[in-house]
Amino acid sequence: MYKSMRLGILVVLVVLFATPMAFSQGQKAVADDAFEVVTVVKITGIPWFNRLEEGVVQAKEELGLNAYQIGPSDADPAQQVKMVEDLISKNVDAICITPNDATALEPVFKKARDQGILILTHESPDQAGKDVDIELIDNIAFARRTWDMLVEGMGTSGKYAIFVGGLTVPLHNLWADEGIKYAQEKYPDLELVTSRIPCGEDQELAKQKTLELLKTYPDLDGIVGFGSLGPPGAAQALKEKGLAGKVTVVGTVIPGHAAPYLKEGSLTKGILWDPKDAGFALNWVAKYLLEGNKLADLKEIPGIGAVAVEGDVIMVNAMVDITKDNVDSYGF
Amino acid sequence: MKQLLKRHETYVLAIIIIFSLIITSINPNFLTLENMFDLLKSNAFIGILAIGVLFVLISGGIDISFAATATIAEYLTVIVCLKIGGSMIFAFLMAIFIGILLGAINGYLIDRFSIPPIITTIATMNLYYGLLIVFSKGKWLYTLPPYFRSFADIRVLTLYTKDGLPYGISIITVIWFALMVLASLLLIYTRLGRSIYAIGGDVISAQRVGIRVRFMRIFVYAFMGAMAAIAGIVQALLVQTVAPNSIVGKELNVIAAVVLGGASLAGGVGTVFGMFLGVMLLAIVQNGMTLMKIPAVWYDVFVGLVIIISVGFSSWKAKKSKVTSLIDVQEQSPQEKLSVQGGIS
Repeated sequence: MYKSMRLGILVVLVVLFATPMAFSQGQKAVADDAFEVVTVVKITGIPWFNRLEEGVVQAKEELGLNAYQIGPSDADPAQQVKMVEDLISKNVDAICITPNDATALEPVFKKARDQGILILTHESPDQAGKDVDIELIDNIAFARRTWDMLVEGMGTSGKYAIFVGGLTVPLHNLWADEGIKYAQEKYPDLELVTSRIPCGEDQELAKQKTLELLKTYPDLDGIVGFGSLGPPGAAQALKEKGLAGKVTVVGTVIPGHAAPYLKEGSLTKGILWDPKDAGFALNWVAKYLLEGNKLADLKEIPGIGAVAVEGDVIMVNAMVDITKDNVDSYGF
Repeated sequence: MKQLLKRHETYVLAIIIIFSLIITSINPNFLTLENMFDLLKSNAFIGILAIGVLFVLISGGIDISFAATATIAEYLTVIVCLKIGGSMIFAFLMAIFIGILLGAINGYLIDRFSIPPIITTIATMNLYYGLLIVFSKGKWLYTLPPYFRSFADIRVLTLYTKDGLPYGISIITVIWFALMVLASLLLIYTRLGRSIYAIGGDVISAQRVGIRVRFMRIFVYAFMGAMAAIAGIVQALLVQTVAPNSIVGKELNVIAAVVLGGASLAGGVGTVFGMFLGVMLLAIVQNGMTLMKIPAVWYDVFVGLVIIISVGFSSWKAKKSKVTSLIDVQEQSPQEKLSVQGGIS
């Protein structure tokens, strides 16, 4: 009995101590002197961030960085905070992050920077405590384009609703704010029926919320969905209720996922940028800054395009409309 | 009537009715057949998971890994179906097989090594889900076999709205109800079912009366696995997309719904009807909030309040009835009184 218990404890100890070491050795083996640049995404294992990871892998191969991507299994701000803390103790060179919650991360960002770790954010332009933020789109133009697309579908007057991924997701809410402001000026007859609904990262929930909206506001004309699963969920609900094409659905989508909905007409139009570019740009800028170059001198990111630097925000304009005609031309 | 007032289900039902009245008074669209059918369809997924959780809770255990089990069963089945063709029946059978296997592993580990179920299933959740992410690389399946779409569109009863749009009772709702009836019969009328209550009530006594505890535990967790697997396929039917991470994270909602329905985390207590009411209460609250035009920021607040009010009220009732149980003796039926007196003399 004693013997088997001691054996058991030994096995547990071996697993606890040896396994992480084996992993870290594997990572170190890539290149000892390469910068360790870690990309932390909102959720791991969803198409959007899988595509972003392709950009990280590209950067690893082309730029000779020790670059890799991690992220929580659901869009949980607390888990991201913990991951950043772990990376601080690991003493990496730079952390690239798409925040789930801008304010929740502020304290750890400060801690990281005190330790000399570079913090680059994406999709969080007003983030406090960062070194630099990279946006692949001009957020104001992006929001306005989305509302223009909505109007192209439903006309300049009518009722609409907004889906966001979560009420604390910085970018979705920034777009929503900008879009609402824009609509008030340019399309005063558009009526937002209810405050934004947090269901854009869950297709089943987006579908359910759309069904409920249709019962609450039977004369609903349009839905703007931010978060790649909002628009497909809404499209699915419309199809089920025979309203495909009668209610306009626009928003951020993954082309491969949205293709059937765009083709059957239940989804009007999508808008996005290629997350792979974001992954590459984050790592490219990380290397650029780690090598001691000045942010103000940055004019272009190779392969991505010309940049505009405003304070600590780098902007590249890589916004594209996704329609039923071009949806198959993206490889993701 | 007295008996009815003692039952937890009565209170949940009362709360559901009160809620429905409030929601309907604000938005008459709530109490329509169409909305009810939609609710029963979209909650079939949670409801089927809840049947499995109910069994586990009655047996005195708990399972956190069922969402991972459901996802694996769903993912593997759809991949195989895409490769070899298959059919809807094949899909269900294959998923159930995977579910039973993964569930049985839970049951065996819990019984063989006497690890607390919560730890075991947290471990297997991470293990199952982690392996799935490793091997699937988080890839989503957008195109399901065509019979997934045509099967999901089947309605057992079709009605038309005044605009001529069809709605009705979905086959998915029928699956859920059939499983609830089966589970109910199993729990009430079979030796197997009664044994689950027995081991949940007192495992040592159950062992002494000759119940094979290990078999029962493996059975309960395997049953949970089977329900999770069916729920996984139902989820694929509902959403028409298979994502490795879309179910994980919903465990607590399901457990909350089952406990709302009167099952005890301590084991030995719970009914299928109560579980159904628990699922519907949460569903109605969530549905009602949009219909009542409550801003989205308040959603979680309301869900929390409803759980506290409904569980709190019935626990408080139970506590009160314990205190007044002396009085209850005098309210027994004449026959019972007779037997009590007989016993004394």
